[in-house]
This record gives sequence, structure tokens and C-alpha cells, in this order.
Amino acid sequence: MSETFQADKVLDCSGMLCPVPVVKTSKAIKQIEVGQVLKMIATDPGAPPDMVAWAKNTRHELLDSHQEGDKFIFFLRRVR
Amino acid sequence: MSDDFDDFDEYEHKVLYVQTHGRDTPERSATPFFLATAAAAMDCQVSIYFTMNGPQLLAKGAPETIVVPKAGGGGKELRFFIDQAIDMGVRLLVCQPSLDLHGYTMDDMIDGVEMIGGAAFNGMALEADAVISF
Repeated sequence: MSETFQADKVLDCSGMLCPVPVVKTSKAIKQIEVGQVLKMIATDPGAPPDMVAWAKNTRHELLDSHQEGDKFIFFLRRVR
Repeated sequence: MSDDFDDFDEYEHKVLYVQTHGRDTPERSATPFFLATAAAAMDCQVSIYFTMNGPQLLAKGAPETIVVPKAGGGGKELRFFIDQAIDMGVRLLVCQPSLDLHGYTMDDMIDGVEMIGGAAFNGMALEADAVISF
């Protein structure tokens, strides 16, 4: 699948298990500016529902979520 | 809780976890820390209240000796999960009667533990968006 979003920061959480990807995502989103995009890569099968819940609660925008092989790719825009 | 509410804080959810299990059931020790850490990463205000046997997990020396088991052997020290929670701003709370139950004082607790009373606990439960008990 083609990447339609330009990432300002990439966070690779491959091999990490819940809750580490959400913790690292939470910290990483604070390191970019409002409006910028974080690309997060995870292999934890719990990551897709987790990132939907995380984005809903934090109100950051989950722009895209897709799978490439065994990796789950997320594009998140910092909203606030 | 905070006096300086901004646009975001007024929507911030509060989650209160209750841990009643102690060192005899290491397989029950880590999950509340785990979930609390994830909730904190979701920008919730999170506390864990340790009562009944719960304070055993916070006694000095315990986090390093309790191993959270894993199928097939091995596992991680509970310390790892506690540090992760503290790092994310999770508050760790105990009450006096549950310390008395085990002969503990606050001096026996690891750094970062706070004392509250029953009224404060009930107040937090009434104010929380979710209370999750283990």
C-alpha cells in the first residue's frame, strides 16, 4: 500500500508489546508540533484497536492505519 | 483536581484502579499497572488504590523479588511495570488500615507511594469516570 502521508517523525515499535507502543506513541506525539504527522510502526496485533482507542481519547487524528506484511502502520496528526 | 483547567482538561477522563492482590499471586500483580500505564498514555488521570493485600506489592524490596510469570518460564520483575506506571504519572495510593494489616508503615513503602483515607478513596471513586477493581 502506498503511503499517502508525509511523516515528520517515525516511531518504530516493532517487537514491542502492549502497553509499550501506546506509551511511546504518547511521548512521541508530544515531541512534534501541532499539525505535524507521526508515523508509528508496530507488530503487536493489539495495536490497531489500541491506536483507534488512543486517538479517540486523546483527540489526536488517526489519518491512516494499514498493514504491510507483519507490520501495522499508523499515521497520526498531532491536534493539540 | 487541577485548578488551571484549560480546554482539554475539562474533558480529561479519570480512571481509578483497585488492586487487592499481593505477593502470593504474582500472576495478578502486573495487570493493574499495565492498564493504568495505557490509560495514562491515553491522557487519562490515573490512580491505583492498593488495599487488602495490595500494599505487599509496594513494600520495599518486593518489586525486585516478585517475578511476573510468563508461560514457558522466565518473566519480568514487577519493578519494570511499576516504574513504567510512575513514569507515565500514575499515582500509587495506599490506606492506613491495609498497611496495619501487614504491619507496614509508610517507611516500608517504595518511593512514590501516597497515603489516602477511606473518605478520599470514596471521593475519588465518585469523581472517576471508571473504577476498575482487581
